[in-house]
Amino acid sequence: MPFHPHAQPNFRNMVIRPMWMALKAALRTIPYVGSHKLLAAHGTSAPYHAQEAQMIDEGTAARIGEDHPSVGKRYAVDRETSSLVPYLERPVTVMYPYERLEDLEPWLFVPGNYNGRIGVIWETCTACKACVKACPNSCLHMETETRVNVLDTTEEGDEWHGMGTELEVGGMAARRNEVDNSDHNLILDHSAVPQEYDFGSVIDITGETATVRWDGGGMEEVPAADLAPAEVDIMSGRIDIGRCMFCGLCMEACPFESFFMTNEYDGMSGYSREDLWYEADRTRVLPSVHQERVDAELVKRAEKELKKRERAKARAEA
Amino acid sequence: MEDWVVFRTWVGDLTQMIAEATVGQTRFHEYSDGVASVMTESIMAVTVFATIMGTILALLWIERKFFARIMDRRGATMALRSLWVGEGGQHADWYDDLPFGTGKPIRWLNNLLNEKAGNASDYETVHRTKDRGYHGVWWLLPGMIQNVADGMKFMTKEWMVPAKADKFIFEVAPFIIITSTVMIFAFIPLSSNIYSANPELSLLFMMAIFGIAPFGVFFAGWSSNNKYTLLGGIRSAAQLTAYEIPLLVTILSLAVISGSLNIIEIAEFQITSGVWNIFLLPLGAALFLITMVAEVERIPFDMPEAEAELVEGWWTEYGGMRWGLMFASEYLRCYAACLLFAIFFLGAWEMPFGDTITGIIPNQDLILGAIGVGLIGLAIGLRSEFPVLLAPVPLVFISVIPPTAWLLFKAWFMFAIFVWIRASLHRIRSDQILEFGWRWLLPLSLVNLAIAFWLRLSIWQGGEWPLLIPGLITAIALILFIILGMDEDKSAMEGRTRPYSVYTKSKGPASPRSHDR
Repeated sequence: MPFHPHAQPNFRNMVIRPMWMALKAALRTIPYVGSHKLLAAHGTSAPYHAQEAQMIDEGTAARIGEDHPSVGKRYAVDRETSSLVPYLERPVTVMYPYERLEDLEPWLFVPGNYNGRIGVIWETCTACKACVKACPNSCLHMETETRVNVLDTTEEGDEWHGMGTELEVGGMAARRNEVDNSDHNLILDHSAVPQEYDFGSVIDITGETATVRWDGGGMEEVPAADLAPAEVDIMSGRIDIGRCMFCGLCMEACPFESFFMTNEYDGMSGYSREDLWYEADRTRVLPSVHQERVDAELVKRAEKELKKRERAKARAEA
Repeated sequence: MEDWVVFRTWVGDLTQMIAEATVGQTRFHEYSDGVASVMTESIMAVTVFATIMGTILALLWIERKFFARIMDRRGATMALRSLWVGEGGQHADWYDDLPFGTGKPIRWLNNLLNEKAGNASDYETVHRTKDRGYHGVWWLLPGMIQNVADGMKFMTKEWMVPAKADKFIFEVAPFIIITSTVMIFAFIPLSSNIYSANPELSLLFMMAIFGIAPFGVFFAGWSSNNKYTLLGGIRSAAQLTAYEIPLLVTILSLAVISGSLNIIEIAEFQITSGVWNIFLLPLGAALFLITMVAEVERIPFDMPEAEAELVEGWWTEYGGMRWGLMFASEYLRCYAACLLFAIFFLGAWEMPFGDTITGIIPNQDLILGAIGVGLIGLAIGLRSEFPVLLAPVPLVFISVIPPTAWLLFKAWFMFAIFVWIRASLHRIRSDQILEFGWRWLLPLSLVNLAIAFWLRLSIWQGGEWPLLIPGLITAIALILFIILGMDEDKSAMEGRTRPYSVYTKSKGPASPRSHDR
């Protein structure tokens, strides 16, 4: 069987080379000795350690800025002591919860594309549940409810009539049904109160009639005046971070750039499994952190809304 | 060079004096000598045991720290240094609370250390990294205290015997291992007059006791009634048997070349004949090293406890202090192996180039005078910007280092090599271990024995070795080593074929551009 030349099971490859490599790694950690050119990195003549500090990616470089004390300094932090007695050891342990590595050695800090703790910009989330469907470990739980906004229930002549949203194609619609839930016993009936509305999605609007596909099944053309616009509201967005394997599929699934794997590695511990169930508030990424994303999403939605209103205005004039 | 630490003589004189002053004054005065010798032997045994147990901490330190350097992932190195450095600009000040100003020398030393090895650095990054926050006194405890904590933990653990284990054997096995391991050190001399026991045939005694522990290992593996431990025990028995024989034949070659079966005489022979055994029997040294690594079951020969496949091998079912002591006995065996290598091959307690150095400083009085000068030089040198002044200081001190310290240094050096091997080499397969042992090491050890016979019978004429012979042997060994080290398959290098059969059926282009060529 042909071997790779370095896989030949001979004395050189099985004993001499590994032992020399191990010794080299050990010698490199010793000040003065470690900077000898015999121990240089492969193909270079510079000392293996004690090189210029270079940030791991552009994001880190931008984050720490030009004025950071480590910029342009030698990467020698854990190798050198005083000039007279260089062989005495210094502390190299970062006492993590109290100290953080990124404060001490920012060039070693977590890169921006590291999949860390989950963060969600709830302000731009539309509750489409693409992330929930994408999650292979089913650690995302999102409960939503289709509701009718109280402003949309006003009738002709009410004070706030016309202040709500309008029926639109692709949106949700609700129709008040004939269900009488007045004698529903909240105390003894162990079931939810029957809905006063039938919900469906609006397929088409032509003139005064709207085509609606009801959630219960069936397509129907109904007068638009009978319908009230409905919306999907997030009841809870819980993430079981204890089951998460940080694959990032949820982030890739999100069509609105609301879902992020941050590069933060801490704050994911707890004293029980329940502590690892993150409610929406613990996954919140403040808009200030991802201002660009939020702004972009808001602009997109504002433009959409503007166009819609212009269309409605044009229709009213026609 | 003379061994000035004649500890056994000192103890003998002291006990003689005590015995004569006490028992000698009573009507049992004829037992005075007996009492004195009992006291002497007890003190010597305790001394040797305490020295071994105290200095074995160095092994743990080497295992942790040298290994960490090889892996370039040193962990907590703050503990001991924190005693003087302090954190975040706060220096330690516990010495100020000592009464009658007894803390003042400590304060002086502390300030000196802070000045010379403190937090300040020319590099700003270094400076910033070293300027840590002060997190309380618990972070300043030296790391060695962790050993005490571990010991306490083992002591307080529940002792569980598996339900279907052979309980008697299961209980007895650790004691066989531990006691036989500790007994090895009865026959290991720490210098020509610091030893616990010195029978005429101490080499045989010692190797016999060294060979008892494998029984305990096999008992432990068998009696646990667990497939992992059984496999580990069987592997261990096979491996130890296979390597015990080359080891004993190699040691026999030492006895042959020294003309003695007494360890101290083997050691002294290297000193009187002027050549360490490693230069006469380099093959024997290599064999001894390899077989000893196999005997103490360290990587690459740790198949019996291959943790990736056998949980923890033959000691899987043990817990608590029995496990702790067996783990300690692993290290004790390892320490014994290192000490034996140093004694058998590295000139035991002889200082390297000791004769040359004593030639430079021939007079003991001169040495004592030079110590004084050296201390002053050390003080000046530490204070000055020119540490070159320190250069003669080690030379002065080196000549008064006691022989025991040399032996321990050599043993620690050997352990560093053990750690180096462990960090570098792969664990090899059980059948490869056995094949290597039976088909290579056993014949080679016989060759080594033949070389020893030849050297002793034809070359050695009494007195000192002719320096040409060890020089020639060492040169041949080095050349053989280099030839083996250059062993490279040129045809494989030229072929550049990939390892294993990973070709797909239709090879296809390696890259999109391949079509163009």
